[in-house]
Amino acid sequence: MKKRDFSQLRSMWSEFRRIKFGMVGLALLGMFVVVVLIEPLIVPFPDAATRWRDMTYWVDNPRNAKPAWVNWFTSKDYAPSARIQSDNIVSGEFGAGKLYQAELPYKYSWDKAPSDVTLRMNVTGNARYEAEFIRPDGLSVTYQKTSQGAGTRDLRISVAQNLQPQLYQFAGKYEDPRVMQSTSASTINPLAVLFSQAEKGALLSGSKPLDGTYTVRVKVVAADATSSLNEAELIVAGGVQGVLGTDNMKRDLWSGLIAGTKWALIIGLLTSFIAVVVGVIYGVTSGYYGGFVDSLMNRIYEIFSSVPLLPILIVMSAVFKPSIWIMIAMMCIFFWVGPVRTVRSIALQIKEASYIEAARGLGASNRRILMRHMIPQLVPYAFASMALSVPGAIVYEASISLIGLGDATRVTWGQILQAAFSSGAVLQGIWWWVVPPGVAIALMGMTFAFIGFAMDTILNPKLKTR
Amino acid sequence: MSEPILVAENLTKWFPVKRNLTQVMKGNRTWVRAVDRISFTINKGEIFGLVGESGCGKTTTGKLIMKLLEITDGTLEMKGENATHLRGAALEKYRREVQMIFQDPYSSMNPRFTVRDVLMEPLEIHKVGKDAKEREVWVREILDEVKLSPPDEFLVRHPHMLSGGQRQRAATARTLMLSPSIIVADEPVSMIDLSTRAEILHMMRQLQREMGLTYVYITHDLSTARYFTDRLAVMYLGKIIEMGVAGSVIDRTLHPYTKALIAAVCEPVSGKVNRIKDVPIKGEIPAATNIPPGCRFHPRCLYAVEECWQEEEPTLDDIGGGHLVACRRWAEIERLGAAARTSEASLGTRKSSFAPSA
Repeated sequence: MKKRDFSQLRSMWSEFRRIKFGMVGLALLGMFVVVVLIEPLIVPFPDAATRWRDMTYWVDNPRNAKPAWVNWFTSKDYAPSARIQSDNIVSGEFGAGKLYQAELPYKYSWDKAPSDVTLRMNVTGNARYEAEFIRPDGLSVTYQKTSQGAGTRDLRISVAQNLQPQLYQFAGKYEDPRVMQSTSASTINPLAVLFSQAEKGALLSGSKPLDGTYTVRVKVVAADATSSLNEAELIVAGGVQGVLGTDNMKRDLWSGLIAGTKWALIIGLLTSFIAVVVGVIYGVTSGYYGGFVDSLMNRIYEIFSSVPLLPILIVMSAVFKPSIWIMIAMMCIFFWVGPVRTVRSIALQIKEASYIEAARGLGASNRRILMRHMIPQLVPYAFASMALSVPGAIVYEASISLIGLGDATRVTWGQILQAAFSSGAVLQGIWWWVVPPGVAIALMGMTFAFIGFAMDTILNPKLKTR
Repeated sequence: MSEPILVAENLTKWFPVKRNLTQVMKGNRTWVRAVDRISFTINKGEIFGLVGESGCGKTTTGKLIMKLLEITDGTLEMKGENATHLRGAALEKYRREVQMIFQDPYSSMNPRFTVRDVLMEPLEIHKVGKDAKEREVWVREILDEVKLSPPDEFLVRHPHMLSGGQRQRAATARTLMLSPSIIVADEPVSMIDLSTRAEILHMMRQLQREMGLTYVYITHDLSTARYFTDRLAVMYLGKIIEMGVAGSVIDRTLHPYTKALIAAVCEPVSGKVNRIKDVPIKGEIPAATNIPPGCRFHPRCLYAVEECWQEEEPTLDDIGGGHLVACRRWAEIERLGAAARTSEASLGTRKSSFAPSA
């Protein structure tokens, strides 16, 4: 029996291979599965799934950066994000403490300045530090500060936030005095000043970009023997970043989208599988037995199908901690009604066929008739129904996320979309925040629809084009 | 020869009619009397025919024999054992003895099954044979028996890849899988091309001889019934009204209903085929919920007299030679018929004598 079932599957596969769109669907599903499996290898932020809402994890990213490939289509290129690690920190005696020196070169050859350049220094103890931003034309801007404290910590010097006065002063050396009067340190774009030719108009960001190698020279004076500079890094938050850019919380959308694939598959497959299996068995049983059993099962079905899911979910979320598993369970409890009506009517039709009577005449048990004769005929419908409810479940999860009842510990496509809508991404033209999760949901739906229709063609011999 | 294998005594099947609420409150119950106290004996090795119009209860009788329906009243005896109500192991044993060929070969096999699946099913249900291999040997043997060869070619086919005749052969093969003693054939050839009908019937008869089968052949087609059956029972509105050796029932018809049935048979003979026949019957078959009092055929009978509806329903009486009829006026009608034939014959002679001179 087992062996025969196996051979049946094999022959099914050989037929499946011949259906083109079925193979496309399978390829897409395979792609999704592979993406889930190799997730840590293809995303720049492997912890995106667990630290999606952790602001400190994304702090060095640009805000609302476009995808990197946007540069291919624009005449003025945006500077992409980059990180320059100092591989050589030179230390020397300096009185009671030590002097640490490092140089961080950054090669700039774009038209639009990055949105921020941040110098990150990992220090221990008390330190007085100095960062000198040397431009390719030899001019430089210096920032000095003393940091006191115990233990090891990151110090950050952001050009956008910390160097505004210095760069305003710097521009004052060559800029038109009238322009200087009409502006102030807090209204200029310091990055535009830093990456422009030293000529009039730089403050109004009208001047040409200054290409070449920028060097950041770091000097840290450690006050005592216990203090030290451990690391220095230059983080360029570009105007474009990664495969899909970033959102307004500086999160890398590519990492989020990939992390969401896993949850989309889990939510979609688990919910639709459980719901359809329960629904099909319920519908067939109801249709096959008929009479009192049918009436009773129909009443139960009507209760479940008329209870609105959303209020129940709101109450459940208030009672329980919003968790994705509870959400899946709740969706299963209410989604199984989907296929029942159709399955029941198909079952009513099948049970009148004389081969059912023939099977009964042979002495087949009800169980055998249901399992061998009726349910296999519903497999195509079940697959179609599953394919249809996979995107449904994903969208439902998104809507639950939308009203703030989602599982805040997971990244799902729905949550990404919800964040995009709630922050007005569409109105701001941040298409790279809205389109990819939407396309991903559509692609996932298409995958299952293709597979479902291909299965339909195989399992329903009458549809076969021979 | 005449060793009874299946004995039905006052076999009855009433179906309740669905009622609305007021009818339930009033306590009205109406029944469809599909099979109304019929008795017959089927002998071992014979082909017993059940004929009648649609809705006369012949298929219901077949299903009662098959135990697909619960018997309302009366008894059924199989090989001397009571088989009226069976449960569990006894029912399973009974099912192995009695099998059925269904009318529609297009729907009697699961379209998803291959011929192999169809034929394996009875063996799997009754756990015959050690494993699939042993079962398949038996399946091949039976396929050969019903002339579906080469088996390899047919085993992997789905029903929709078979012709009507091949399907009915496969359906017959399925009934043979469990080596039953009785096969109920419910209009096995009515949906098959005329050209293959004789072939199928011939195969069935051959199988009967080889395997010592007993057939219950249910049909509305008197010509195949005459060709195929040994004994014949004619049913009308849930009742057997005439029964006897097939030749005798057809050639020496006694009941007016049977006469009407025979008169309605089309004869593809030139001169007769285009003639609208004057069938000796009137009206439509009444509803089985409201069976006429007295003889149930009287509203349609051309020979009905007052006693036919005033008196009790006539019983099925043996009038000799194993020929049974349920009509109190059969002898009178016979005489009338003979007289009519004579007058018609004389009329015919007169006509022919007129012809040449005109």
